[in-house]
Amino acid sequence: MVSRVTRNVAISRLWWVLCISSLVGALLVLLSLFGFVFVRGVAAIRPEIFFTVTQGIAGGLANAIVGTLLLVTLAIVLVVPVGIGAAVWVTQFAPDRLRIVVRLSIDVLFGVPSIVVGYFLYVALVETAGWGFSLVAGSLALAIIMLPYVYRAADLAFSAVPRDLVEASVALGARPLTTFVRVAFPWALPGTLTGLLIGVGIAVGETAPLIYTAGWSNYMPTLAPTHSPVGYLTYVVWTFINEPFKQSHQLAYAAAFLLMIAIFVTNFVARAGVEYWASRTRSHS
Amino acid sequence: MRKFTAVALAAVFALGSFAAARAATPILETGSSLLYPLMNLWVASYQAKNHTVQITTQSTGSGTGISQAIAGVAQIGASDAYMGDPQMRGHRMLNIPLAISAQQINYNIPGLNNVHLHLSGPVLAGIYMGRIKYWNDPQIKALNRPYAGRLPHRTIIPIHRTDGSGDTFIFSQYLSFTTPMWSHGPGYGTSISWPSVSTAVGANGNPGMVQACKATPYSIAYIGVSFINETNKAGLGYGLLKNRAGRFVAPTASTIGSAAAAMYPKTPRDERISLVFAPGANSYPIINYEYAIVNPHQKNAETREALVKFLSWVLDHNGGQEMHFLNAVHFLPLPASIAKLSREQVAQIH
Amino acid sequence: MLAGVLTSVAAGICLLLVVLMLVFLLWYTWPAIRYNGLSILNDITWNIGNQYGTGSSVHNGVAAEPGAEFGGLVFLVGTLLSALLAMVFAVPLALGVALTIVYRLPERLRLPVNALIELMAGIPSVVYGLWGTIVLVPWVGNRVAPFVTHHFGFIPFLGGDAGSGNGLFAAAIVLAIMVMPIMVATVRDVLLAQPKSIFEASMALGSTSWQAVTHAVLPSVRTGIVGAILVAFGRALGETMAVLMVAGNAINILPHNIFSPINTIAAVVVSQLESAVSDASGVAQRSLAELALVLFVISLTVNTVARVAIRGQDRSH
Repeated sequence: MVSRVTRNVAISRLWWVLCISSLVGALLVLLSLFGFVFVRGVAAIRPEIFFTVTQGIAGGLANAIVGTLLLVTLAIVLVVPVGIGAAVWVTQFAPDRLRIVVRLSIDVLFGVPSIVVGYFLYVALVETAGWGFSLVAGSLALAIIMLPYVYRAADLAFSAVPRDLVEASVALGARPLTTFVRVAFPWALPGTLTGLLIGVGIAVGETAPLIYTAGWSNYMPTLAPTHSPVGYLTYVVWTFINEPFKQSHQLAYAAAFLLMIAIFVTNFVARAGVEYWASRTRSHS
Repeated sequence: MRKFTAVALAAVFALGSFAAARAATPILETGSSLLYPLMNLWVASYQAKNHTVQITTQSTGSGTGISQAIAGVAQIGASDAYMGDPQMRGHRMLNIPLAISAQQINYNIPGLNNVHLHLSGPVLAGIYMGRIKYWNDPQIKALNRPYAGRLPHRTIIPIHRTDGSGDTFIFSQYLSFTTPMWSHGPGYGTSISWPSVSTAVGANGNPGMVQACKATPYSIAYIGVSFINETNKAGLGYGLLKNRAGRFVAPTASTIGSAAAAMYPKTPRDERISLVFAPGANSYPIINYEYAIVNPHQKNAETREALVKFLSWVLDHNGGQEMHFLNAVHFLPLPASIAKLSREQVAQIH
Repeated sequence: MLAGVLTSVAAGICLLLVVLMLVFLLWYTWPAIRYNGLSILNDITWNIGNQYGTGSSVHNGVAAEPGAEFGGLVFLVGTLLSALLAMVFAVPLALGVALTIVYRLPERLRLPVNALIELMAGIPSVVYGLWGTIVLVPWVGNRVAPFVTHHFGFIPFLGGDAGSGNGLFAAAIVLAIMVMPIMVATVRDVLLAQPKSIFEASMALGSTSWQAVTHAVLPSVRTGIVGAILVAFGRALGETMAVLMVAGNAINILPHNIFSPINTIAAVVVSQLESAVSDASGVAQRSLAELALVLFVISLTVNTVARVAIRGQDRSH
């Protein structure tokens, strides 16, 4: 009897050791990845990178940095009204049947591989509509890819607004719009923003759909909406590592490093922002 | 809030008009990774004197060059291959030679990279068809008696291009023109249906080929001469190829020139012709014209003007055809007769 | 009421977008569907046809260049195999990590570990691809593959050519690392949503902590875990850039062993689109779109099953 118990305890220990080593293993892989990107990235970062544009396979990354910022900013501008608007409609106004239809279509969007979105826009906008590689085509691709993340987070956040809070506000004589702006909106904001930031993180790191929509340019992006290709950081990582030149490898590492920093910052801001808002709403209620 | 939005919008528009006012005419050159290093030299030098145009260069592969020029997305499609008749029937494009280039066959056999192996079309076809599997295959040994004992019993890893590529075009032409089994099988084209070889690996662009060949021991690859500096730096070996006269020649200015000279008189007015497997005892078998694929109808007047000006400069012997540009990438300039044909084609852009 | 109208427009755009994309893809690929028939699913050869020849090859009234054949089997097999093998690596790892986080990690370590796992999920695909190209592929090609093929070559699918390092194995490893964080996060949330009493009751009955987990906790969250695996599987199927950079871009050949070069549908769409566009008949480009449609249908099915599974789990308590 005792021996069986000891054996079971030993087996239990063994399995837990395996589990813990899988966590350690995962962290080691992460360390290898971070170490690789940071060591090579830091070595490749020079101040000129931020001020000069790409010349062929050398030069700097100013065009790619500004291009990524522009593409993602415009994508946010495009996705916020649609994604959050749709979520507000579904949670506040929509009849049951339509609610299901919208949610279903978002589920479908989740299943669309990003390259399919890029291909769709390439044929429809870049070629057929004759926009050429452009800021708007690239941003639209990013917006479509972000949409399900932004929508679902907003849907969850607005669904979680407590009914009694809304009813209390209405009972006190507040107009529906006031109730929405003063009660539901602040409650749902942190969750919605987290979803948006997750979307931004994904947009910053996208490559495949941009190759066929934004194209690539060695020059500073103009604000021209169409007919002017735009550079971005992920392109540098993907093509420049394939060039047999040391300078181009340096640029690829620098670009990967900057991308990682961008992801770190969005992640950190998302977490910190959620904590802050959560504590504020709590103290209000 | 509303005020803030208005201010922000005004700022965006102000910035936009500022950018628009300053914007120079954008020209997009995309395609051949073989021409890319030369294009970068040309553009850098041309841009230093011409500020009203912004030429972006992109190394995407000849297939992309042709298709994006047709789609009107790019103004100059750089290609190592001329367009085929079916393509020309659909879209009448100009195929304008800008320079003469060649291709080397590189390999990475540890211990033998300082040796120039003799290679022939049928042997290369055998390797890329998976019929010649090991480096010490009797057929390879037969061409390389002095090194027969040093050829290792190692699986050959043939590397081919995954992007539509003019290098694939001229390489597969060499195989087609020398090996009936190849011409009846995969044939030639910018992207062909590669025979199934269990170890074959695909790479993207000439740079990707150099990188993959360097990283993969016992591999073989076809790489444009503009990458000689890189293949040398990577320590890769290159082969001597069997020409039409049955001699094994290295890609040098003299052997490329000899092959090109044999083909100049045969070049038609639209300049779509293969220079591969040219006659002549001293001729290197894989050479080609580097083309700019251009749509003769340019809707935008500014774009048209900038395009014609740049192409004319490239074809000028005091401009892009100066030897220091071409020497840097081991290309040859166009002879006067071909440059004249090319200029006549540029004159057709309207 | 204005708010209602405006937001309904937003919802309408979402709906329209999906319908447009589906209708467009179907309309655009229709000639390819007719030309290819079933061969898009069961033919090995991908050949855009002779662009420099004469004549054409015609199937079902659709003309393509001579010799054109658009078989997607290699890409379909590559997609499924790489994603499945990735699951073989990722599932036990992710379960181990999630169980450790929930049952073994001291409270003060939980926040940083969770943050790291989340960070891992956010790393761009190209960065994984970069790491794969520079660190993983040479390691597989120079060490793992020669070792495995030499010592374990008698096991089917492990013997034969060691290859260059680019291939199924490298792709599966990169995919496993990429989807693991998603799986960990979902499994962890499923475990945390479970009442603590299940674990504690089992412990009180004298079982070891591991028995409590395997006999009491895991059976009750089975559907949730299946859902998590399917979500990760769906992501692995559609992953593009990282796979493209390490998979070896195989064409016209099925993998012989786990180190063989492969290709996936998503990767082939990126790498072959421009070659396809140079097909004057246009069928090559449409056939690539048809492949994209196939991928769309597969990942849609996987995602739907996953959501049903996760919703089922949510409802069960």
